[in-house]
Amino acid sequence: MANEFGLFVTTDTTKCTGCKACEMACFQVHNEGRNKVGRTVGTITVPVTPKLYVTVIPTASMPIQCKHCENSPCRAVCKQFAISKIGRQIIVDEAKCIGCKDCLVACPFGAVTLLPLYSDGQPARQAGSPDGKVAASKCDLCAGVPEGPACVRVCPNKALSLNDIDEERKRKNIAAAEALAVVNAGAPERRAL
Amino acid sequence: MTVIAIDQNLCTGCQECTKICPNLAIEGLPHQAQKINEDKCVMCGQCVQKCKSYVSAAEHGLNAYLGVRKERDLPETVLEPLFAAYNVTHIQEVKRALADPNVYTMVQSAPAVRAAIAEDFGAPLGELAAGRLAAALRKIGFDKVFDTNFAADVTIMEEGSELIHRVQNGGVLPMFTSCCPAWVRYLEINYPQMRKHLSTCKSPQQMEGALFKTYGSKLLNVPAEKVFSVSVMPCTAKQHECSRPEMVDSGHRDVDVVLTTRELAWLIKDMGIDFLKLNNEKFDLPMGDYSGAAEIFGVTGGVMEAALRTGYELITGKAIPALDITAVRGVDGFRTAEIAVGDLKLKVGVVTGLKNVKPVMELLVAGKLDLHFVEVMTCPVGCVTGGGQPKLIDETDFETAYKQRISATYDHDKELPIRKSHENASVIKLYEDYLKKPLGQLSHKLLHTTYCGDKKHH
Repeated sequence: MANEFGLFVTTDTTKCTGCKACEMACFQVHNEGRNKVGRTVGTITVPVTPKLYVTVIPTASMPIQCKHCENSPCRAVCKQFAISKIGRQIIVDEAKCIGCKDCLVACPFGAVTLLPLYSDGQPARQAGSPDGKVAASKCDLCAGVPEGPACVRVCPNKALSLNDIDEERKRKNIAAAEALAVVNAGAPERRAL
Repeated sequence: MTVIAIDQNLCTGCQECTKICPNLAIEGLPHQAQKINEDKCVMCGQCVQKCKSYVSAAEHGLNAYLGVRKERDLPETVLEPLFAAYNVTHIQEVKRALADPNVYTMVQSAPAVRAAIAEDFGAPLGELAAGRLAAALRKIGFDKVFDTNFAADVTIMEEGSELIHRVQNGGVLPMFTSCCPAWVRYLEINYPQMRKHLSTCKSPQQMEGALFKTYGSKLLNVPAEKVFSVSVMPCTAKQHECSRPEMVDSGHRDVDVVLTTRELAWLIKDMGIDFLKLNNEKFDLPMGDYSGAAEIFGVTGGVMEAALRTGYELITGKAIPALDITAVRGVDGFRTAEIAVGDLKLKVGVVTGLKNVKPVMELLVAGKLDLHFVEVMTCPVGCVTGGGQPKLIDETDFETAYKQRISATYDHDKELPIRKSHENASVIKLYEDYLKKPLGQLSHKLLHTTYCGDKKHH
């Protein structure tokens, strides 16, 4: 399974202040082309729709976002096949989403919500209806952005990191092995056993 | 009068703003809504630039945005996100004045506005828009489109003369600049005993305002009481400054209302003007005429450089060898230089970022600040990074924006035919026809002030 697990963003809750810089950056990077969002707030003409959700509890704050589960329950329940695994990411195809909310129910972390869709600064309309269209919105790890996830880049407290869990496990394994090797080398009575 | 506020329903208590507040005026517990202590707030608006806690459809509901927009008295054409920390807007007052046929509107814009306003229309960071700014203000319907830069040149005439007078007559030194209202307020709150070190000059905004309703009113034959004086500033503290009780030397409120750069961008959009497609226009004469020296007021070290360009010639009678005085440029929090002005070795200091002023003030209090003249600006690299400037979505853009806005300012200085305040023909005429001489009787009445200490003004 080496290097096949889905990547995901994790938060050091001792550093996160809950400032929402990650939400703004997430929205910016996903609406640069689609809704002509520039570098300043004044260029925004549509509601801010991030794909991660800063959550504050009495003891901590952190953005909650998709973990790109290996056995993704959201993907499993989506009858429209709007959710798929592309590379190492779980991606929503907003055009296919009908807003049924099954993925919201299925996700144990609340990492998905329904948000209004906009393009060219205008609300997207449902086919044959003046009503606005919504779609499931969740982290796509900034798919297609060469610099990687915007949230990780902009965090003023460097609280976020892109987690490659397989690499992390190997690092931990090596650290554990090294620690044990030191312990054993310094304990001749153990060698005698 | 509240200038800066934090919406208690929106603030999540991340305290990012408390970390940057230069006067520790933001109070509260972590993860609870923060409050501004108005007795301490210098109204620089850096918290407004920093705050990311927005009215969210996911968190507050789809209609919450409309409620907050209405509560803040913003036009319905404003669509951008609204954040917990904000400055109180006066855009509706300006709209009413513009629509009133009995009101004669005069507007001025600070140099830093033209270095950033285009950003809010999607232009690259720091794209210079002096000509489009003048065109937009005219299109909005202001009767006269003047410019704060004119008064910046006048400031140099007055402040330069004041410095020379202090140096030659054993006056109080070092003299500190007084154009930054957040700095003036900081000094009044924390070091009131040092007030005599402040230049008695009003800021360019207040000089221009006082001239609108006296010199301008006379020139244009419009009674001063009919004039509505608007200024467009990169600064949130300017609204506080124009409301100070001292600022009525024209016999009226010298500046009626301040719009920030962001608020002007809203007004331009509200009027349906396509800013980026406007053709360049000029500011109106005479109070829209300006030199490159005035333009660089918008960046840290600029007032100092402008003062040196003129002071050198006033003292030595010779032209300064190099117009670009790089010794006072830069972005370090406190930098000093020694400039040879004839026989005088003028020792100058430049402070940028109000947090950097405290150690300098402690030196002053201890009698160890061996300088003649010190410029202080509150915001990170001067007014181009003011609290009323276009707000960057990502902080990772701060560095680029700062750099680009600074270079736009110096580029504009370089391209102007006149680059020294005392060579501004309209300023020369102002003195010939009206003020007579710097530090003269009329200058003292209109352009200088004694800051009367700052408790709460309402």
